[in-house]
Amino acid sequence: METPSETSLHDHRVLVGNRGEIAIRIMQACCKLGIPFTAIYTPEDRESAHVRFALDHGKEHALYRVSSYHDANELMAVADISGCTSVHPGYGFFAEDFRFARRVTKRDRKMIFLGPSWKIIRELGDKINTKRLARSLGVPTVPGSDRPIYDEMEAENIAEDVFDFQLQQGIEHPLVLIKASAGGGGMGIEEVDDIDQFRSVYRRIRNYAARQFKDEGVLIEQRVTDFNHLEVQIIGDRSGKNPVHFGTRNCSIQSTGRQKRLEVAPGFDPTVNEYSFDSDKVLESIVQYSLTMAREVGYDSVGTWEWIVTRKGDPFLMEVNTRIQVENGVSARIARIKGRDDVDLIAEQIRTGLGEPLGYTQEDITFDGVALEYRLIAEAPDNNFTPWVGTIDRLRWKEHPWLSVYTQVPKAAYSIPTEFDPNLALAIVWAPNLNELKERGLTFLNELVLQGHNAAGEPMENNIAYLKEKTGQILKF
Amino acid sequence: MLNISDLLEQIKQTPYREIVVSTPHTGVVNFASIKSGDAVHGPEGQWKERPGTKLATLTRERNPKPIFAPEKGVIDTVHMEYENTFVECGCPLVTIKHHLTREEVESIILKQALYLFRAPERAKYYFTPEIAAKLRASDPGSVVIHDGQELFIMSRMKRELPLYYSGPEGVIYATYFKTNENVDTDAPLIGVCPQEELPNIKEVIMRVQTEWQENA
Repeated sequence: METPSETSLHDHRVLVGNRGEIAIRIMQACCKLGIPFTAIYTPEDRESAHVRFALDHGKEHALYRVSSYHDANELMAVADISGCTSVHPGYGFFAEDFRFARRVTKRDRKMIFLGPSWKIIRELGDKINTKRLARSLGVPTVPGSDRPIYDEMEAENIAEDVFDFQLQQGIEHPLVLIKASAGGGGMGIEEVDDIDQFRSVYRRIRNYAARQFKDEGVLIEQRVTDFNHLEVQIIGDRSGKNPVHFGTRNCSIQSTGRQKRLEVAPGFDPTVNEYSFDSDKVLESIVQYSLTMAREVGYDSVGTWEWIVTRKGDPFLMEVNTRIQVENGVSARIARIKGRDDVDLIAEQIRTGLGEPLGYTQEDITFDGVALEYRLIAEAPDNNFTPWVGTIDRLRWKEHPWLSVYTQVPKAAYSIPTEFDPNLALAIVWAPNLNELKERGLTFLNELVLQGHNAAGEPMENNIAYLKEKTGQILKF
Repeated sequence: MLNISDLLEQIKQTPYREIVVSTPHTGVVNFASIKSGDAVHGPEGQWKERPGTKLATLTRERNPKPIFAPEKGVIDTVHMEYENTFVECGCPLVTIKHHLTREEVESIILKQALYLFRAPERAKYYFTPEIAAKLRASDPGSVVIHDGQELFIMSRMKRELPLYYSGPEGVIYATYFKTNENVDTDAPLIGVCPQEELPNIKEVIMRVQTEWQENA
């Protein structure tokens, strides 16, 4: 890894345009690079540890209270008053909003958007464009519509075609997926197994999309069942010429609402598990397909190519996430750059985003061991993963050299704000092999103390038991 | 049975409400020419189309946003120390002492007279599309609901859940929540009046109309 040019990086100040755990990690990355930062918070988040972190580690202009994380004017006003030269959007909120990225870079007082260029976000952030681009490059995609559908009759016709296609393929129980076109992160997706159900589900998704995303467009595509959800981590610098990959992740353990709960890197492990296909070949193919697309668009930041891999080993591209993802740390944990093991993809994103060259090639990146990430969430897995609302009284864990925990939950009692997801912490566990990883994962979960209560005085619900149960199944198809 | 006279007397003991006008977002504050003791008015007109007294201007990203008095009253405090400075969201600018109006007194008393169906959790609430359509198309106080009816969509943390009404059959007489705004746990969502009680409610309104003196 090249040492950043201190003078150029020190001339910058980063606006941390996000909250919670990712805000802390962005601030930590800034501290590591020696770049000052400005953080923001909303009144609901006043107890969050990211507020404390900003006050403790930031200097002048370290923290401002804003009305919303999703109000671009608030972010711009704070950036101007504090002298920020760049904006890190984290994930969610403005991370994949090309209009915001364009505004940051085109306004009178120009700043740097610490993500891909707005044109790339526009091109790849749209599921439809991504699908078209992928098809033009011979990258396999899931059968279905290649533009948002607004007309009920047209939607029904496409659904009929997708059902017929699956029957022709010999699929006994064909399923069709209805997705809010403007959605993401597993929101606004339902499946139907019968064309007679289609209309009511379509209307429900359309109404939900209109309420949540202000866009009624939906996508209709084949629901591939019995698959693994894989990801390829890509990073490129501002030249857009030399993107490299940081390996694969397996994110198949998800809630019923298709929200990720446990991620593992690398994506498959044939040394312990048996697969009905050549897993190394599949991983290599999705990496190469992803890099082909990244090179084609001149990808210039961190991004994730999301894949479905069927039991037969057939990969289909789902979408591209043009942002840093929650699970970036699990890839960083197993990666080495020129032999160094302190890889921080957020710091890499900031450093290269501010104009530093990548400074290494694919040959300089190696991998060591396996890692998993647990998402600790206040929810009831037995009750359809319903979010739990209340106060966290205690969150404690035992330190280990193989463990990293990131959380916005402070040491004092913490009321979970209902405005956001009830994610409490991320725990990343590393081990030299899969069996040891499972043991260490269970050690962490068994040692973990997570207690709380709700307004009725009832004890908190969480997903620890669910994570323990799933630990035994990681990387199994 | 509700003792309206007692309630009115209680309210008359402290007929004021203190309103703190805070900044809705960040920006640079410039106060209008106001001072403690000045009388201000709230929005007026059939549709409240005429804004209240201008208190300050908050400028953000070159967009000046006038901040008006939300209600009639007398200015108690002006935080002049913020003049021409950049302030955060939620910064208090002006405190207004507001004399309760008839509608506000009615609302206070009705909250004791009506059956209040409360928010089980802090969340955003919406009427189901069917109920919302009925409320739009019907006269106020004419949409009848019954125990067990699916009435609301409760939205929080990216989840939407149906919420069923539990309580006496009656008409939706008052709605206490706004679309897209969070409602705290136990805050009332709607006030329901059993149809046979409607005459009593009308009497409450009549009493307040005749007995409550509003400040000119």
